[in-house]
Amino acid sequence: MQTKQPRRPGELVFNLAMVLGSLFLLWSAYGISGFEALSAPGAVPMVTTAAMLVCAVLIFRESLRKGASTDETVARDILPLPILVTIAAVAAYALLLRPLGFLPTSFLFLTGLIYYLGRYSLLRAALLSALIVLIIFLIFRIVFTVLMPPGIVPEAEILAWFRGLFAGRGA
Amino acid sequence: MDAVNALLIPIFDLQLLGLIALGTFAGIYVGAIPGLSVTMAVSILISFTFTWEVYPALALMIGIYMGGVYGGSRTAILLNIPGAPSAIATALDGFPMAQQGKAGEAIGIVTVVSFIGGFIGIFALALFAPSLADFAIRFQPRDYFLLGVLGILLVGSLSGESLVKGIFSGALGIAIGSVGMDPLTFTERFTFEISGLRAGVSFVAVMIGMFGISEGLMQLHTVNTAAVKQTIGRIVPSWAQVRKHLPLGLQTSSIGTVIGALPGTGGDIAALMAYDHAKRVTKNPEVPFGKGAIEGLVAPETANNAAVGGAFIPMLTLGIPGDAVTAIMIGALFIHGLNPGPLLMTSQPDMFWFIVSSLMLANCFMLIFGLTGIRLFVKIVELPRTVLLPVILLLSIVGAYAVNNSLTDVYWMLGFGVFGYFMKLYGYPLGPVILGVILSRLLDDNWRRAIISDQESLWMLLKGTLASPLSLVLFAAVILIFLSKTPLWGLVFRRKTAA
Repeated sequence: MQTKQPRRPGELVFNLAMVLGSLFLLWSAYGISGFEALSAPGAVPMVTTAAMLVCAVLIFRESLRKGASTDETVARDILPLPILVTIAAVAAYALLLRPLGFLPTSFLFLTGLIYYLGRYSLLRAALLSALIVLIIFLIFRIVFTVLMPPGIVPEAEILAWFRGLFAGRGA
Repeated sequence: MDAVNALLIPIFDLQLLGLIALGTFAGIYVGAIPGLSVTMAVSILISFTFTWEVYPALALMIGIYMGGVYGGSRTAILLNIPGAPSAIATALDGFPMAQQGKAGEAIGIVTVVSFIGGFIGIFALALFAPSLADFAIRFQPRDYFLLGVLGILLVGSLSGESLVKGIFSGALGIAIGSVGMDPLTFTERFTFEISGLRAGVSFVAVMIGMFGISEGLMQLHTVNTAAVKQTIGRIVPSWAQVRKHLPLGLQTSSIGTVIGALPGTGGDIAALMAYDHAKRVTKNPEVPFGKGAIEGLVAPETANNAAVGGAFIPMLTLGIPGDAVTAIMIGALFIHGLNPGPLLMTSQPDMFWFIVSSLMLANCFMLIFGLTGIRLFVKIVELPRTVLLPVILLLSIVGAYAVNNSLTDVYWMLGFGVFGYFMKLYGYPLGPVILGVILSRLLDDNWRRAIISDQESLWMLLKGTLASPLSLVLFAAVILIFLSKTPLWGLVFRRKTAA
């Protein structure tokens, strides 16, 4: 704990959140079976969360002693815009996956992020994304047999059409 | 005879052989590309291979593990950016060699010594694991409990900036692993009356969040950093050069195997300790350490690859992971209905010998792929991260969804990813969290068995611990690790030095 590094922006808040979170978990662990017995279902959770609380308090105390960093800001070094956009993109992906389906959602996700992060032209980002989504779909759908929501894309019909095409050739 | 048959399975089964080769090839690239870690790759892979038979799934993961540990050295040498934590020490002398135009020579020697180190680790695994498993059958529940605590303390004390943060992370992992119904009494734990939590939190979602998403978010800080281009000359090292460094390589391989075999410690610590050993025993290096000494490459690279075999020893004999990757592999075996530990070793020895054989093959493929295709490699490493990172994030989402076809798991993954990102930013190690999640069941079960057999008396438990040599050693190790990180230790040490 004898670090000379200055405190990063938001570190104090995060460490305080860990103290409060540990306290809440300790309370929940106590609620499992209280001090019923050493072999009770709540015994290990109580010891674990008590250890979390003690550590969190020590970490918080240490961060209070550190001097605040003068050359770092939350907006630039902790939560810059690309990180917020990426988190939002992952959340949006999860929201759209069922209604739209794997192929369109993945295409939109990749095109959006590659366009935003890489500063490519929209057309280039879209073409690149289409290629990547196609490769991922073929590998994971066919090799790994992973089932993803088809959504608005008639995936089963397309696959059946492809199979029919190859069966037709083979015959 | 069964052992021989099991050893031959991956050699004569073309599908398995192909998967090991593919895994090793992919592992080298995953390990080499900064921001892609072996732990991340293996955790994402679990979600795609859980429908497979256990042998093909393991073959692919073992290949990635072996290739990935080696692959980290590539970018450490070429770009001064270790592709994996186990290659941190390699950059110290590897990059100066590249700056002197000797990148090819450095990659060549690293490949050969990694192969040697890898074989020594696997040899140790084959030699010691069966007898250790026989011995481990006699372990008492309190020994397993102490081993679990020891693993979390070790990884907590060595992988982060402070033991306190390490313990916090490990305890958090145990708490996460406890969520759901208690398997013995069906009491709900940390479910907060949410029905979806009764089955617990998907550990695949935790792993992908912590190692995939959080790492991806961290990489966004440096997403537009341009790659440094290097020219590559001769790669295959001369026999004289290999022979000259063989004695040091054998010593550091042994260090790597032992460190890897300690619960919770992996290739990164092994490599740093081996580097330190090389500095102490090499009296007159041709080039000083830190300026391009070959010994500075031989030591960490033999050790980190030897640690791979070593890490499988506690995983297969005790069910306790040697490092984060083997922790994830234990998770993969759980998914396939297998419970690693001494009983698995004795009831299914073919599984053990299959792993040994797969590791050996992966090591051979690593040598072949390591000495060929360097120019293609340089091109792939130069892939823009602005394309690579969105693809990793997409694979993470698909992986988290695929295990249970559940969007809730994707939200868990995102939640743990963001949380893991903040933990990383503020210096909390993530390795102990995963170790805690994996070990929570073992710790909980064995604590309860131990205390019940000692009639719910802590005094009886302590007496039993002090009376058993094995328990005593484990208990002393736990206490020593703990004390070594407290101010008390510093006081005693300083007084002795002053005296």
